[in-house]
Amino acid sequence: MGLLALGTPLDWPEAKQVANHVREWGIEQLLAVWNKAKGKERDALLWGDEVEYLVVTYKDGTPKVTLSLRQADILDALARDETLSEEGGCVPDLQLVGGALPIFHPEFGRFMLEATPGKPWGIGFRDLLDVEPNMKLRRKIAKEHMNPEEYPITLTTYPHLGCPGTFTTPYYPPSGNKLRSQFVPDEIANPHIRFPTLAANIRSRRGHKVQVNVPVFKDKNTSWPWKDPTVNYDLHKYPEDDDVRQGAAPDNFIHMDAMAFGMGSCCLQITFQAKNITEGRKMYDQLSPLGPILLALTAATPIYKGFLADTDVRWNQISAAVDDRTPEELGEKPLQNDRWRIPKSRYASNSTYISEDPRLRKEYLDPNLIVDADVKQKLMNGGMDSLLATHFAHLFIRDPIVVFSEDLEKLDLDKSDHFENLQSTNWQHIRFKPPPTGSDIGWRVEFRPMEIQITDFENAAFSVFIVLITRAILSYDLNFYIPIPKTDENMETAHKRDAVLQDKFFFRKNPFPTRYPRPYSANGGVTPTGTTTPAVLSRPPTPTGPVEDEYALMSIDEIMNGSKPDSANNFPGLIPIVESYLDSMNVDVETRCELASYLDLIRKRANGSLWTASKWIRNFVDSHEDYKHDSVVGETINHDLIGAVIGLEGEGKREAKDVDRFLGRFYRPCGGETK
Amino acid sequence: MTRLILSTSNIMTGGPSIIRKPGASNLELTNSLRSNFQNAQQGYSPSSRSKASSPSNGEEDESPQRPSPSIWTTRENTDFYIPTIDWTLSGLAEEPSQYDITVKLFYLPGADIKDRRQHTQDALQLVMKELGVCSVDLLIVSFPGMSFEGDCEWDADKKNSAQGNDDEEVASWAALEELYDQGVVKKLGLAEYGSEKLSRFLKRVRVRPKVDQVNVKDCCNVPPPLRQLAKLEGIELYVHNDCTNILPSGTLRELLGQGSQGAGVLSEAKRGIDGMKGELTPEWVVKYTAVVRDRGVIENKGYFAVAELRE
Repeated sequence: MGLLALGTPLDWPEAKQVANHVREWGIEQLLAVWNKAKGKERDALLWGDEVEYLVVTYKDGTPKVTLSLRQADILDALARDETLSEEGGCVPDLQLVGGALPIFHPEFGRFMLEATPGKPWGIGFRDLLDVEPNMKLRRKIAKEHMNPEEYPITLTTYPHLGCPGTFTTPYYPPSGNKLRSQFVPDEIANPHIRFPTLAANIRSRRGHKVQVNVPVFKDKNTSWPWKDPTVNYDLHKYPEDDDVRQGAAPDNFIHMDAMAFGMGSCCLQITFQAKNITEGRKMYDQLSPLGPILLALTAATPIYKGFLADTDVRWNQISAAVDDRTPEELGEKPLQNDRWRIPKSRYASNSTYISEDPRLRKEYLDPNLIVDADVKQKLMNGGMDSLLATHFAHLFIRDPIVVFSEDLEKLDLDKSDHFENLQSTNWQHIRFKPPPTGSDIGWRVEFRPMEIQITDFENAAFSVFIVLITRAILSYDLNFYIPIPKTDENMETAHKRDAVLQDKFFFRKNPFPTRYPRPYSANGGVTPTGTTTPAVLSRPPTPTGPVEDEYALMSIDEIMNGSKPDSANNFPGLIPIVESYLDSMNVDVETRCELASYLDLIRKRANGSLWTASKWIRNFVDSHEDYKHDSVVGETINHDLIGAVIGLEGEGKREAKDVDRFLGRFYRPCGGETK
Repeated sequence: MTRLILSTSNIMTGGPSIIRKPGASNLELTNSLRSNFQNAQQGYSPSSRSKASSPSNGEEDESPQRPSPSIWTTRENTDFYIPTIDWTLSGLAEEPSQYDITVKLFYLPGADIKDRRQHTQDALQLVMKELGVCSVDLLIVSFPGMSFEGDCEWDADKKNSAQGNDDEEVASWAALEELYDQGVVKKLGLAEYGSEKLSRFLKRVRVRPKVDQVNVKDCCNVPPPLRQLAKLEGIELYVHNDCTNILPSGTLRELLGQGSQGAGVLSEAKRGIDGMKGELTPEWVVKYTAVVRDRGVIENKGYFAVAELRE
C-alpha cells in the first residue's frame, strides 16, 4: 500500500470540495517529476515481487478457523526483530538469502501482510534462483513472529470472510459506522485512519454501500433460484441498510457489501524498472494484453463467504468493492452534478496505450476513453506529449478519496503526494509509475493482474516468467497490440469457471516485428545510375490491413504453448519465445534446470495437465465428506482446506489431496530428494 | 578459390525463424540465413515492386521473382559476401562496456585443421567489425564430432570420452590462447566436453577454459562426474541448444541453390541456370550475441558462415 502519512482526513463531502485543488497540485507535481526524469537514461533492470498473505488461526483439532486481526502486533514484532538484526544480527538465520532482510508492510485488511524482498532483484540469472528461497524465507520469518496457532497463507481470499458467526480473532460484531456492512466489522480494516476513511468515503461518494455480487456455482443440490441465506433484510441501523431491500442482493448471486471483500484479497504483483521512459511506456503497452491471460492462468478464487462461486478469479470483486462511481457516473441517472459517465471502476483493466511506437494504431485505442480535457491541456502546456497526457488526464477523471487537510496548506513540488493520491487509487491492471521524487529510482511498470498462488514455488514461477517475458519482448521487439476493448473482453472471459481450459481469448496472431528494410530500399532502391539514398535506418512501413485480421480467438494453451499444426493460427507461444530467449543467453545448467521447472509448471497449467489452484480447491470441496453438493462450504470443509493449504508450504505437503495433479512433480525441483 | 561469407545480420528482429523447436538443431541458422537472403533480394532490388510489369530476363522463368545475385551480393577480391553487408549499419547502440558479448565458433568437419588458427582470427574479426568492438567477453569453440548422447547421462559422458580428437583440439586451442593473451577475448570456453575429455584437456593447455557448454537432453541431468569436475576446476557449465555439425555441405548447397528455398547463387546445369560453379566446402560458422548486461536484453545476435568454393 502507498504512503501512510498521518493527518486529519476529510470526510465526504468535504473531500469532494477540495478535489480540484488536489488534482491541480497533483498535475503540477507530475509535471515537475516528468520534467526532471523524462531524460533519465540507462537505468538497469531492477524488479521486485510483492507477496500478500492472509493470517489465519488454525488448530488441527479445533474445527473453527479464524482470521487473525493481530497485523499490528505481528508487524511490531517483525520491526523489533529487524532492528535487532541491523544492530548486530542476533538472528543469523535471517542473513541467509540475498543479503538483505525482507520487508513487511501493512495492507488494507487487518488480517493481511505484505512482504517484499529486502532489495530489488536484478537480471543476473542467479538472482532469479534467489526468488523462491527468499519467498520461503519471508514466510518463515512471518511465521516466527506469530503465535503458534497463527499461519501466513497465500490464498487470494479467505473462504469464510463475512460468514455468519465468528470468523475473526478477536471477534467484533458487524454493522460498524465506517463500513456499515452487515457481514464484516469495521475492525476488519487496518485501523490506520487512511483505510477506514477510504472505505467510508467510497461509500459516501457512491451514495450506497459497494455491491459485490458474485454468481453462485449451481451444484446438483443447489436450490434454484438461489437466495443468499446470509443476507439480513431486517436491519434498520443505517440508511445503507435499505440497500438490500432495494435489490442490492439479486437471486443467484453471493452478496457482499464492503470494501474488505475486495481489498482483502491477496495478489502477486511484479514491478520493473525500465531503462528510460520510452522503454517504460513500451512495456506498459505490451504487458497490457498479457494481463487477462495471466489472470486466467493463475485462477485461485472459487469461494466467497462460504459458498462456491461460478467464477474463478478475484478481479471483478475487487473492482466492485472499491467502485465509488455515483449513480450519474454509472448511467443510472441523467448527468446533473457529475461531469461524465464512466464505464469502469477505479479498479479495472487499463484503458490507455501510451507508447510512442509506430506500431500503435489509432484503432487500438479505447473509443470510450473518458479524459479530463483541462488536465490534458495543462499537461500538454507543460510540455507533455498528447499520448501520455491523455493517460494521466484519464486517471485524473477520478476524485481523490482520502485527503488530509494538512496537505492542502502548501504545494511542495519536491513531493508527489497529490499526484500519488490519484495515481495510487487508480488500480488498473498495469500501472505506469513515474520515478519517486528525491530518489534515484527510474521509470517503472507494475504488472498487477496475477492471483497469488498457494505455494512459493508457484509464486516464484509466475514472477520469473513475467520477468523473462519482458526481456523477450524487449529483445525480440515483440508486438502484442490488440484493441483495448478486446483486452476488456478478455478480462471478463478470464473470470469464467475454468476459463484457462474452456475459453478463448483475443490475442495477436503475429507478435513479430516487420524486418527493417535495407536502407537503399527506403526511397525505391538503388537507382540505375548507381547513386544511393543515404544510409538512414528507415521505419518499416506502417501496417494498414484491417485491425480485425491482426488478432484471433485463441485458447490459453495456444497462447502459452504455441499453435498446434491443425490451428488456423501460427502463434509461436509465449513459453517457446521465452525458451528461445534463454537459448540465446549464457545460462548455467543449474539455473536452467530450475527455470525449466518453472516453465514446465506454467506450460502444464496452460495445457490442462496440471490444475489451477481454483480447480484444486473446487475438487477439494467437491470430494469432502461434509460437502452436500449445495454450493455451501461449511466450517469443517473450510478447516480442512485451510489445513491442507498450510500443509502445502509445510510438513503436510506430500499428504495433501491431489497434490500431484496440482503441482506435479515440481514441488521439489531437481536436485532435491524425490520419492 | 573463393571465400563465401554468408551472414544473417541481426536476427533478433527476424520473426518466427528464431523461435525454437524442441531438440538441438541448426534451424535458427538456416532459417535466418534464408530470411536474410530474401530480405536482401527485396531490399537491394530496385524494381522488386514493379517486377511483374517489366520482365527483364526470359531465362528467369523458373523463379521470376528472384533478382540477379549481382544486385544483392558483393564480391571483393576473393571474398564473396552473401548478401552484401552494409558496414555503416554495424555497431551497438551503447558503449561496448555495457555489453556481454559471447561468440561461439563452430569448426566444421570438412575444413583443414591446419587452417583453424586463421579461421579463428577471421571469425573474430568479422564479429568485431559487425558489432563495432575491439574485444569480446567469451569465445566458445565447438569441435566437430562431439555430442552428449546416450541412454542416460552416465552413458553420454562415457561415450563423449572417445569422441573428437584430443591432439587436434589441443593444437587448435593455441590460437585461442593467443587471442586471450592479446586481450581480444576475455574468457575462453569449450562445448560438449564430458568429464574425461575435459580433465585430459585441462592437463594439456596453458590458458584454461572457464566455460563448458553442454547440450544434455534434460538440463537437470548433468552427468555427476562432469558436475563435480566443473565445480572442482571452477568451470561454469552452460546450456546450449545447437547441433555440432551446424552446416553440412548439402544444407549449404540447398541454401545457395536454385530451388524454391534457395538463394539462386549456385548454377544448376540441369535446368541450364547460370551461377557459381565448383566444389563447396563449409569451413566454419560463428554465432555472436550482444546482451546489455544489466538489463538482460539481447540487442544483437547473428551468424557468419564461411565456405570455400573451388571453381
